[in-house]
Amino acid sequence: MDDRAAIERCRAGDKDAFRHVVERYQAEAIGHAVAILGNREDAMDAVQEAFIDTFQTLDRIDLARRFYPWFYIILRNRCYKLAAGRKKRETNRSDETEIVAPTSSIRPEDAMLLEQAMLELPTEDRELISLRHLDGLSYQELAERLEVPQGTIMSRLYYARKRLREKLARHSFIGFSEGTGFSEG
Amino acid sequence: MTKLNCESVSMAAMAIADGYQSELSSDQIEAHLAECLDCRHEIGQLRALSSLLDAQERRQRTESVWRLVEQRLPDVAVARSTSRAWRPFMLFGVLLLGYRLVEMIPERDFGLLFKLVPVVLVIAAFSYLRENPFKIHSELRLEGE
Repeated sequence: MDDRAAIERCRAGDKDAFRHVVERYQAEAIGHAVAILGNREDAMDAVQEAFIDTFQTLDRIDLARRFYPWFYIILRNRCYKLAAGRKKRETNRSDETEIVAPTSSIRPEDAMLLEQAMLELPTEDRELISLRHLDGLSYQELAERLEVPQGTIMSRLYYARKRLREKLARHSFIGFSEGTGFSEG
Repeated sequence: MTKLNCESVSMAAMAIADGYQSELSSDQIEAHLAECLDCRHEIGQLRALSSLLDAQERRQRTESVWRLVEQRLPDVAVARSTSRAWRPFMLFGVLLLGYRLVEMIPERDFGLLFKLVPVVLVIAAFSYLRENPFKIHSELRLEGE
């Protein structure tokens, strides 16, 4: 069943069709929510709320558009609302990374340092960097997803990377040093 | 027009590396970099960071939220159905208001049938609700009764 057919059935009150939608996108949604919120527990809460919001607003979906970018806006709103309403959770000190997957391209201890540096970033920076680099979204896709002009994406991404570079330098991540001191305009 | 300085050049260089054409041309950027060691260092570091990040993948999630979502859907379905329940009442309200406005036209007598319109509307409302307004609910008892 494609998304369009599933959503049309959801609108008619078919919960099984909604299950189909949830199960298709939940992994992606949890991954994005973890990247924004920085922890799994809050991410699970936000994803649940976002799917429920979606079910309540199915009538407003433009079936000509893809489902997930539309859903992402709802998910993002839920994440930021949750982040604003709660005190920052203590990051679970585990041996596993939550945002980046273990890969052969980086040592596990470096992956942990990278994730730690990402968790120290402001939420917007972490979201932007993960969408750009972990999902490979173009500036145009980022602009649509975050509802800002591409020029804004360019500058936000630049400053986000600079801040991440500085965090990595503070964690003594090999190859990175503190910035040149160009001021943020 | 973007002002040419170290920051704007670095930003534009990174954007071009990402496949986005900024307002500064490649020639302007190259000319600046040829003379600016700080910018070459800055861009070199940021490109290295980009390459490091590009080589990473998002962790795949295996958790399921369907059960938790499903538990709350019946309530949501009720909320969706009740969220539209105001529409008939709005219609009754508009009709009664219209009647009242017509009734206020001076020195016009529309006859007995016209006077019955509000009664008909009220009967229609109760028929819609399928509820007798004078019915005493025997199941509702005071606590301790």
